[in-house]
Amino acid sequence: MIDVREKEIAEFALRGALEAGAQKARVTLIKNRMDLVSTLNGQLDKCTSCMDRCIELTLFVDGRYGKFSTNKLSRESLPDFIARAVETARMLAPDSFRDLPPQERVQKNAVTGTELALVDSRYSELHPEDRKKTALEACISGKPGHELLVTEEAEFSDGIYDTIIMDSQGTFCRHTETSFEYFVEVTVKDADGNLFSAYRWDESPFLEKLDWRSCAEKAYLKAVSSINPARLRGRKCNMVVDSEVASKFVSPILRALNGTSIQQHSSFLEGKLGQKAFSEGLSIIDEPCVPGKSNTCMFDDEGVATKAHSIIENGVVREYFLTTYSAAKLGMQPTCQGAVRPRVKGWPEPGLGRDDILRICGDGILVTDFNGGNSNTATGDFSFGIEGFEFRKGQIVRPVREMVVTGNLLSLWNNLTACGSDARECMSKLIPTLAFSNVDFSG
Amino acid sequence: MILNKEYYLNRFSVTENTLEELCAEALKNGGGYSDLFFEDSFSTELMLRDSQVGSGACQQDYGCGIRVLSGEKTGYAYAETTDMPSLRAAAAAASQIADGTESNPAAVSASNRYFGKPNPGADRYPMQGDWRVARSSLFVPFLEGIEKRIRAAEPRTVKVIAVLSSSVSDILMYNSYGELKYETRPLASINLTVIFSQDGHTEQNHVSRSYRMGTEFITESLAAELAAEAVKGVDEMFAAQRPKGGKMNVVMGAGASGILLHEAMGHAFEADHIRKGQSIFSGKIGKRVCKKGITIVDDGTIHANRGAVNYDDEGVPGQKTAMVEDGILTSYLHDRISASFFGVAPTGNGRRESFRYNPIPRMRATYMESGADGSLQDLIAEAGNGIYVDQFANGEVKIGEGDFTFYVKSGFLIENGRLTMPVKDINIVGNGPRALADIKAVASDLRIDDGTWTCGKEQNVVVSCGIPSVLVSKLTVGGD
Repeated sequence: MIDVREKEIAEFALRGALEAGAQKARVTLIKNRMDLVSTLNGQLDKCTSCMDRCIELTLFVDGRYGKFSTNKLSRESLPDFIARAVETARMLAPDSFRDLPPQERVQKNAVTGTELALVDSRYSELHPEDRKKTALEACISGKPGHELLVTEEAEFSDGIYDTIIMDSQGTFCRHTETSFEYFVEVTVKDADGNLFSAYRWDESPFLEKLDWRSCAEKAYLKAVSSINPARLRGRKCNMVVDSEVASKFVSPILRALNGTSIQQHSSFLEGKLGQKAFSEGLSIIDEPCVPGKSNTCMFDDEGVATKAHSIIENGVVREYFLTTYSAAKLGMQPTCQGAVRPRVKGWPEPGLGRDDILRICGDGILVTDFNGGNSNTATGDFSFGIEGFEFRKGQIVRPVREMVVTGNLLSLWNNLTACGSDARECMSKLIPTLAFSNVDFSG
Repeated sequence: MILNKEYYLNRFSVTENTLEELCAEALKNGGGYSDLFFEDSFSTELMLRDSQVGSGACQQDYGCGIRVLSGEKTGYAYAETTDMPSLRAAAAAASQIADGTESNPAAVSASNRYFGKPNPGADRYPMQGDWRVARSSLFVPFLEGIEKRIRAAEPRTVKVIAVLSSSVSDILMYNSYGELKYETRPLASINLTVIFSQDGHTEQNHVSRSYRMGTEFITESLAAELAAEAVKGVDEMFAAQRPKGGKMNVVMGAGASGILLHEAMGHAFEADHIRKGQSIFSGKIGKRVCKKGITIVDDGTIHANRGAVNYDDEGVPGQKTAMVEDGILTSYLHDRISASFFGVAPTGNGRRESFRYNPIPRMRATYMESGADGSLQDLIAEAGNGIYVDQFANGEVKIGEGDFTFYVKSGFLIENGRLTMPVKDINIVGNGPRALADIKAVASDLRIDDGTWTCGKEQNVVVSCGIPSVLVSKLTVGGD
């Protein structure tokens, strides 16, 4: 956790920036600690211990703007760095749109860093031997029932992440959280020696809620289920996208709502604010401040308060993501830096899971992973390599590989069939299983 | 650039005695090998957007990573200050990996069979102008000049974003064999994004260059070259269509298509994947993997290349490593751990993003040597019908299965042995070993691409790639 001396260094840097010639300044102090234990085939493979501290300085100098960072945090070295930063900013072209956010938009209730209750009190009691024990206990190598296993590679990591933002207008925000994560990738071999791999992970601010015990088994079953894949002929059919990977079709929408993309004319959603661009089944809300939940935060990088809001409602674009800067450039009101913890709402009814959606769709292709490809933010055109399964009458019949799905995001989302309610809470975007009709696959 | 030893020792406030002491401290619980990696990096960035250079940044990053190897197991920790208490604490944390009883120095010593010592004469990236002392204002006209050239050449230009980045890193490495290596690594890069508009439609083009160079990187000829490339093929961008998909012949153009070689084959040759049994090329040394006449190398010796290394990040001298010679798989890419495991010499591929990461086998400049099957035109004629790919982007591969998918940034349909309709928004799908085996012809036009390639395997490491024009049969093209 950031200590008093480090906080004083941040204040020293802020004062120093103003004394060196900046009219306004923001200092972000970041301190992270992370420990990681890796295993390979049930044996200890790597132990890593990390501690990072850095100061980021955002300077507003004579109408100019620059962003600077250093991990040399001594009172002896900082003045030279700050002087260099101010000098660099002065060489740039003036940009009258740059400014700190107005105080009425700034978060004033994130003072201790623990307001969202994201710190596990057990974190400080964790011993290196505990980490090794957990990592080794999670392995399935050598345990019966895994005869096809070739390699099991896993990581158990934990950390504490502490951030303070302060600026020359008196802003002070702090966010502290612990995080525990388990990731495993397994490779299995079929009778002909062909390799198939799959992964599974979980993350939680609390060790007790981390599901590290079942990850390897789930990854193993997923890898085994992909043995003997078929290469199907190209077709137009239903596509169901598993919640694990469904953000592939939501992230490009969120990127296209970014103010910079709009201002640079590189967004396929330019001019769509307030319009119905998608199926009425698509509603995305942002839930940034839910206590105890991963990926939440009460403020953004400018110190602006985050709040629950609607991004897309029944297919209508309700919001662009506009920072102080991008809003000023566009002549609009600022909104937020981006979606903190976006959630796609269930449709046509809440509570549907993947199996329900497969039954609704009947026949088609279930996508469980992506392999390469591209999505063009300017046009909305996409083309992704996929892996998954063919399903008929709501039942999975065989794995497929070496297929490509192509289309345009606007037309895809206007062919939305269903949104589940099965998003995993550990994901940064809460995207459930999705289903679309008339999707082009080639193989 | 390689300066004198005292410069680097002073930079990190250490002596040879303290380095030796730290390596010993790291091995206090056992283990067979320890090393130290000191880094002092300074990077800058200038961005032109909306026709003005209105955004700048610089970053300092300083610290030391300490590693302990106990057999193939790794203990790793780092400190962001280089006072002895902080370094001792990091050494103690790294020493956790050893269990107190094991000490097997022979395991890693066995891999200590490489050539070369610090040799300023072999410096692959001497830096003439130091970015750390240069005034950023000198580079503003360079960025503005590029935009002027682009707008003058192409009236459909609506936006130009140009980002000039530079970094200079002082590096000092020491290991428990007593080997001390040091150097300064410059890196200069420029990325351009240009947005064009025609009849309400928008297209964009990306162009980049990167070299291990100082401020001598900034030249009028580079500005002219970048601007010309940025506006090349705009008509084709707007005319391009998504073609019918299916299995077909694919001709890959020389240069940037080398990224497919990097992703689909190169990663599977990295010896950590081989050691762990995850690669489809495991156990294939000495076997034929493609037709005679094909040679694939990973090269750290190209002057000023983005993937060049005087030393890798384990202090092993940079080398040119032939992975496939005349169609036969001859070598994997090794760091010290995998070299020890396989009983061979390290190949200088132990690389890392920064002092925060332990080194692992990584590529440098990966390319296929020129072949003897004629020119690009000959390959297009031989293909008959299929796709010509000018540039790939966004490739991904599954190491175990070997399956890959690559997005085609620009290309053309091949009909009756000639280039016809420009194509876009398609993917090439295949399997690495099968695609290697299905190479039918290799032209004599090898080109190394000098774009800002960064490989993201666990850590970000700068690389480059290249390839001559190549004809591959039976690849899946995903289209309508």
